[in-house]
Amino acid sequence: MKQRGILVVSAIVTLAAAGAAILYAQSQNGYYSQTNLGDMSQPAAPPALDTGAVFGAGAYPLYRAQLEPGDGKQEVEAYCNTCHSTRYITMQPPLPAATWEAEVNKMIKTFGQPIPDDAAAKIIKYLQTHYTPETRKR
Amino acid sequence: MENEISRISRRALLKLLGAAGAGAAVGVATAGAIRELPDNPSAPAQVPQSTRRLPSFTGPGANPYWNSVGPIGSYPQKQPLIVLTDRPVQLETPREFFLSPFTPNSAFYVRWHLGEIPNEVDLRQWKLRVEGAVENPLALTMADLLERYKHVSLAAANQCSGNSRSRFQPRVAGGQWGNGAMGNAIWTGVRVRDLLDAARPKSGAVQVQFQGLERGKGPEGLGSHAFLKSLDWTNPVLDECLVAFAMNGEPLPMLNGFPARLVAPGYFATYWVKSLEAIRVLDRPDENFWMKTAYRVPDTPRGTTTPADVQTGKVKMIPIARMPVRSFLISPDGASKIPAHMPVVLRGIAFSGFGRVVQVEVSTDGEKTWHDARLGEDSGVYSFRTWEAPWTPPRPGRYRLAVRATDEKGNAQPDDGVWNPGGYLWNKIEQQEIVVGASA
Repeated sequence: MKQRGILVVSAIVTLAAAGAAILYAQSQNGYYSQTNLGDMSQPAAPPALDTGAVFGAGAYPLYRAQLEPGDGKQEVEAYCNTCHSTRYITMQPPLPAATWEAEVNKMIKTFGQPIPDDAAAKIIKYLQTHYTPETRKR
Repeated sequence: MENEISRISRRALLKLLGAAGAGAAVGVATAGAIRELPDNPSAPAQVPQSTRRLPSFTGPGANPYWNSVGPIGSYPQKQPLIVLTDRPVQLETPREFFLSPFTPNSAFYVRWHLGEIPNEVDLRQWKLRVEGAVENPLALTMADLLERYKHVSLAAANQCSGNSRSRFQPRVAGGQWGNGAMGNAIWTGVRVRDLLDAARPKSGAVQVQFQGLERGKGPEGLGSHAFLKSLDWTNPVLDECLVAFAMNGEPLPMLNGFPARLVAPGYFATYWVKSLEAIRVLDRPDENFWMKTAYRVPDTPRGTTTPADVQTGKVKMIPIARMPVRSFLISPDGASKIPAHMPVVLRGIAFSGFGRVVQVEVSTDGEKTWHDARLGEDSGVYSFRTWEAPWTPPRPGRYRLAVRATDEKGNAQPDDGVWNPGGYLWNKIEQQEIVVGASA
């Protein structure tokens, strides 16, 4: 009985390994690539809607942008996230250093975000270090 | 609640495959509603360009793709769309949805300005106020709109002021839209004029201001707190404006402005305020950020200028208004080769905020010669109008296709782009390279 169990387990492991090998070979040949699949929003069953006057759509998904690691990232996440997600940064094209400085100043002066001077300086430096035409990598 | 993105490098995925089998790896890879795909620099060279994954950003050159390059995300009441930003929500409609004259509600692009947007509205609480310089202020329920005022339906294209901003050279900051920040729908609602008449405006009105439920964390009085737009009292578009509660015969999706939004036919979407809560008659000009500072264009032909002229501070800026004429080739999209001698149909849409589209021309030889396309049904002055043109590519090669539209006022699309600091008013002739392969 025990031996049979071991046989089954080793068969599964072998199958999994073979499957992985096939997947690996096919992606090497260009038949498939290692990418993620998206999901589609749809009701699984007739949703439990009531006949009242409240009309809702459910929560909107949030997304954590992949900011470059580095000095100033903490300040960016602390202050920039107040009004908008940091995806606003990664969505931009590479922008000149002066443009990033102007953008941060706009957030402070035009939009009223209270960022202390030293934090603002760090944020500007961070954006200039990672998101200009000369410096942006991803 | 935040969804952590699963960003798995190819090597890590292979390691996972080795360790736990394909099932576990797929389980990790599909967690989370939105994700960026991992870099895959080792993609086989023989894979056609069109099937390789997109870069995570474009620039400093112009975005070469038809759409923007964001990840795909699933949102309530929506099909998967291209995510520019998640808070506030900005979603772009993929190219293929423009094959039909009316854009499905579930695929209609989304653009909000501030972080706090409604995802639930209680119609017992919601009222549309008509207030300000009026004798008889109103607070209308949805039932009032549905039962006490005449319903009007019209087809109108809605396009973000910054649609195609990612084409600008030099690039400008802002939502990096490709061409998909637009849509067309049949809007049903009541006339703004009927509501204003019922509220009996006082003499001396200069503008009508529109406000929706959208709010931001910023201090009151600043653009980061509320989104407000105004139209001049003497602007003829006010007579065409609707408070629309239905879109393509359905309630508005929450993200497109449920329970009702402004429709300003021919005007850029910045005026089409979503989730309306107030229509305010003003006796002095609106000086809020969204009128005085944002959404302004140079007072020059086509609204174009240069970075150098902006630097001088002498460029006069005025509020953006009507949409210049545009046309798009939707199919074929250049992703696949076409065999030589195979008859295909070039298809797309055209529209103008200045009047009916009366002509669409296509070129298949890099704009040396132009041929009239056949126009589809005329659904109204401000609607998308479909067009199609048969084409049989004569021999293998690379073909530069182009499409240009002309409206009834004689406005035609130009060969060159515009530049302005906001990234607005793009309407250059669109081009698409198509590769034709040998058929034998």
